[in-house]
Amino acid sequence: MFGRHKPLWGKKTRLKSSYDAVIIGGGLHGLATAYFLARDHDLTNVAVIEKRYIGFGGGGRNTAIVRANQRTSQNVPLYKEALALWPVLTRELDYNLMFFNCGNLNLMHSEAAMNAARMNVATAQFHGVESHLIDAKQCKELIPALNISDDITYPILGAMYHPPGGIVRHDAVVWGLAKGAARHGVHIHQQTAVTGIGVANGQIVSVETDRGKIHTPRVLLAAGGYSAAISYHMLGIKLPISVLTIQAMVTQPLKPILNHVVSSGTYHAYANQTLKGEIATGAHMDPWPNYTTQTTAYYIKHQAEALAEMLPCLRGVKFMRHWAGLADMTPDMAPIMDGNAPLKGYFMNCGWGYFGFKSCAAAGKYMARFMATGNCPDMLKPFTLRRFAQHRLMGETAALMSYSPDN
Amino acid sequence: MALTLTCPICGQRNGYEFRYGGEEKGPRPDEEGLSPEDWCDYVHLNKCVAGIQKEWWFHRDGCGAWFTTQRDTTVNLEVEQPEAQL
Repeated sequence: MFGRHKPLWGKKTRLKSSYDAVIIGGGLHGLATAYFLARDHDLTNVAVIEKRYIGFGGGGRNTAIVRANQRTSQNVPLYKEALALWPVLTRELDYNLMFFNCGNLNLMHSEAAMNAARMNVATAQFHGVESHLIDAKQCKELIPALNISDDITYPILGAMYHPPGGIVRHDAVVWGLAKGAARHGVHIHQQTAVTGIGVANGQIVSVETDRGKIHTPRVLLAAGGYSAAISYHMLGIKLPISVLTIQAMVTQPLKPILNHVVSSGTYHAYANQTLKGEIATGAHMDPWPNYTTQTTAYYIKHQAEALAEMLPCLRGVKFMRHWAGLADMTPDMAPIMDGNAPLKGYFMNCGWGYFGFKSCAAAGKYMARFMATGNCPDMLKPFTLRRFAQHRLMGETAALMSYSPDN
Repeated sequence: MALTLTCPICGQRNGYEFRYGGEEKGPRPDEEGLSPEDWCDYVHLNKCVAGIQKEWWFHRDGCGAWFTTQRDTTVNLEVEQPEAQL
C-alpha cells in the first residue's frame, strides 16, 4: 500500500512547504471537499493529509447505506442532494461506485413510532423526497423473508418506505474521490500525521506534520471521529461531541433474499444484502466514549437475536467478519460545519455521528464553496457551531436512541 | 478486553451494567450572571481527551450509585492515574 508501487490515484507527490489549503483527514469528507475545491473553484494547490491511509476511518467502516429521509427540514435538503450526486459522481469520476437504489424500510413497532414516521414522511414529501408509510402486509410484500407475526418481542406494525435510498460501495467512493481529486492536481499524503496547527493574530498560518511544516492560510478539519480530540489538543477548542464505537458485521454470503435495506430502531439493528451476498448488519453503539475500535461478543449476540426475530430465515447463518469504527456524536445528531470562526481560515466539518457516509458528496461540495469564497452557503448555515450556545439544537433525534450522556 | 468499572459499592463489574454520565467538568456553574457561552461550555462541550480522563458513571443495572473514575480512552480501560493535563 505504501511501498514502491504507484498509488491508485496517480503519481506520488512530494510534500510541499506551502499550499493554498490543507485538509486534515483523507476520508470521505476530506477527499470530497478537495475534489470540489479543484473542480468548482479552481483551487488545486491543495493537500489532503492522512495519518494512516485513505479510508482508514469511517469511510471504510460504515455499512454503506445511503438515504435522505432524515427528520428535520435543515437536514433533508443536504442528504437529498447527496443522494442525487451518486450517479453524477459515478460518471464524473469514471469509477463504478456501485450505487444500488434498492430502497430503505424503517420498521415501526408501536403506534407512537407510526405517528413519528408520519411526521418524517411529511417532512420528506415537503422537500420532494419520496417516502411512504406502509403497513405490515406491504412490508411483507416487499420483503417476503420478514417476520410480521405478532409472536416476536416487537411485532412489526408498518414501515417508513424510502424507495430512492439504498447502498453504495464505500471503498469505491474513497478511491474514486481520491482519483478525481488527484486528477485535478490535489496532493494526497498518506502516512503523514498532523502534529500542530499554527495560528498568528487569530488567523491560520501553518500546519505542522511529522514530515515538516506546511504554510497555509486555510485548514479544514475533517478527521471524522478524531476531529474533536485534534480540535482540543491542538487548538484548545472544545466541541459538543462524544466519540463512541459503533460495530458492524457481515454473515457468510447467501443467495439473494433481501433486496432492500431494512432497519429497526426498536431492535437496534439494520441489515442489507451486499452485492457479494453477505448480510451486512449493524447495531447501536457502545455507550462510552473511546478511541479504540474494539468489537464485543455482546453485539454479536445482540445482532443474532434481533435478526433471528425479524428475518427468521437467517437463523443458523454464521457471521464471517466483525469490525468497529468511531462515530462522533453531537447532542442533536446533526453535524458541525463551520468556518472562519473562531479563527480566520479555520474550517471544520465533523460531528457526523453515523451519517457521514450518506452526506459526504453534498457536504464536500458546500464546504468547498465555503472555503473558496469565505461565505457560508445557505445550505450550511443551520450547522454552525454557535447553535449550541444559542440553544438552537436541531432535533435529528428520531433516528435511533440516545447515544451520549446528553439524552 | 472488555470494559469493567469499579463501583464504590458493588466493586468491579461488567461495563455494560453502567451508563456513562459525561466528562467531569467541575461544579455546576452559578446561574447568577451566567452567559449562554459558559452554560454551553458546561452542558455540551467536551474535551474528548485521547488519554486518561476523569468521568462520571451511573450503576444503572446495579446499586444506582453515581461516581467518578478515571479511564484511558485510547485503550478503554479503567486506570488509577490522574486525568491527562493538556
